[in-house]
Amino acid sequence: MIREVAIVGVGWSGFRPITPDLSYKELMYEAAVQAYEEAGIDPRRDVDSFVTVAEDYNEGTSIFDEYVPDQLGALHRPVQTISGEGIHGLAAAVMQILTGQFDVVVVEGHSKASNILTLPYILAFAFDPVFNRPLAVHPYYVAGMEMLRYQVESGTSHYECACVAAKNRNNALLNPLAGYGAAISAADVMASEPVAEPLTRLECAGHSDGCITLVLAAGETARALTDTPVWVRGIGWANDTPWLESRPWGEARYAQAAAEMVYRTAGIKSPRAEIDFAEIDDTFAYKELQHLEALNLCPPGAAGEWTAAGGTEIGGEFPVNPSGGALGQGHLLDATGLARVLEVVLQLRGQAGQRQIETAEVGLAFGWRGVPTTGGAAVILSN
Amino acid sequence: MSLLHRIEHPRDALAWEGDMPTLGRYTAGIAGEKFFRAIQEHGQFLGTVCPICEIVYVPPRLYCEQCFEHLDEWIEISPIGWVHTFTLVHLDLDGNPLPEPLPLAFIQLDGADGGLVHFLDEIDPEQIFVGMPVEAVFKDPAERKGSILDIAYFRPV
Repeated sequence: MIREVAIVGVGWSGFRPITPDLSYKELMYEAAVQAYEEAGIDPRRDVDSFVTVAEDYNEGTSIFDEYVPDQLGALHRPVQTISGEGIHGLAAAVMQILTGQFDVVVVEGHSKASNILTLPYILAFAFDPVFNRPLAVHPYYVAGMEMLRYQVESGTSHYECACVAAKNRNNALLNPLAGYGAAISAADVMASEPVAEPLTRLECAGHSDGCITLVLAAGETARALTDTPVWVRGIGWANDTPWLESRPWGEARYAQAAAEMVYRTAGIKSPRAEIDFAEIDDTFAYKELQHLEALNLCPPGAAGEWTAAGGTEIGGEFPVNPSGGALGQGHLLDATGLARVLEVVLQLRGQAGQRQIETAEVGLAFGWRGVPTTGGAAVILSN
Repeated sequence: MSLLHRIEHPRDALAWEGDMPTLGRYTAGIAGEKFFRAIQEHGQFLGTVCPICEIVYVPPRLYCEQCFEHLDEWIEISPIGWVHTFTLVHLDLDGNPLPEPLPLAFIQLDGADGGLVHFLDEIDPEQIFVGMPVEAVFKDPAERKGSILDIAYFRPV
């Protein structure tokens, strides 16, 4: 990249299935104060620009972007809200620093999912209104159909998919931030109620409320602010066709394209050899496997066997979602990818407690926008 | 400084409920109009062809999403295809269990590169398999409205 960019402060709040005591503004304020304290900055003086990520329908407010400045300390400053995955917001902030016009930029994403009383209806409202929405079916049908096609094309068993959910829920037990930790086995996951066959209840991430705030700074500023900057090495994002009618049901081509870009910008030739661990979207258990393959971190069709053999556990050769992922932390709507980034930062700083990976020097985070989308974004960070 | 005091009892945590007013029109467009008229009036599927990429689009589009060429070659597509993938849905939109699992499939249509997402019926859900040949069952002409629901469902051939 043409200019160095680092994450110099992180803050979070919530990460619990319900937060009836705090408004979304207070969740944001709490996470922002933590990030600013950590970075040693005053937002009213030191931050040049703010990027937030939010969807009006999730917030229940139109023109929601107007409601973000006050709780971030962003009045009278450049502020933009992106409707995308959290890592799309991170990409926008990185690009602002790369312009040379901004030295310190803040990124924020949050979820107040517990306040959305009709979440499946909102997801179903994202379907094409003419061709798909009239079917009026629970939107997880898309995940069920993707999962089966992925299994057929890759030769992955249901047991191997269930191993992802068991691994991530167990990892979450080691993460004080995670609300969905559980000592469960793949057999427990497969025995849970079917949602959209073959997908079962325990293969779908529950939801959490929470907020993540990141402070980014350009090279010299970053070095002045902290002794432990986490460097942004590359960033990439892409979409596939939105049409259910022409998408490849078995493959995550948006992730393949985002991977190509993130490896190119990071100068990475052999991802598996040059990256030590990853936090990868696992909104549904099979997605972690499909994304691992699309991100070229293992050969096509090999992710299931690798996972079942323990290769992606915290002590394995390539840990995936040591945080517990979305399955273990709860899905944070637009902020889910920023939760993946947060864990990569904590691991690279050596602050991941019981789940610390010993050789964490380069980590990848990948976020997906969930059903029915084909949009994803990736970032590579190093210490 | 951060939050100095917290609400310490759920009864003190207030919230208000409200809904979002949304009512809109969704235009089918030139390609969509032709597609739905053909279903409504003739019980027939239409597609468009990209001669450069050799892709047949169903539902039809006026442009190729691969090469971005304008498309103006229209062809009739068979109502017969095969199950590319399927699922049995167990929940309604409120998250409550459905009385019977609902089979949905992506049906790859013969002679097209795409296909349609729709219901499967006239089959025991346990008997559905990937690759199963199926055909479209249209509603009676009098009941058709120019909608994707003019296709009642797909059934085994």
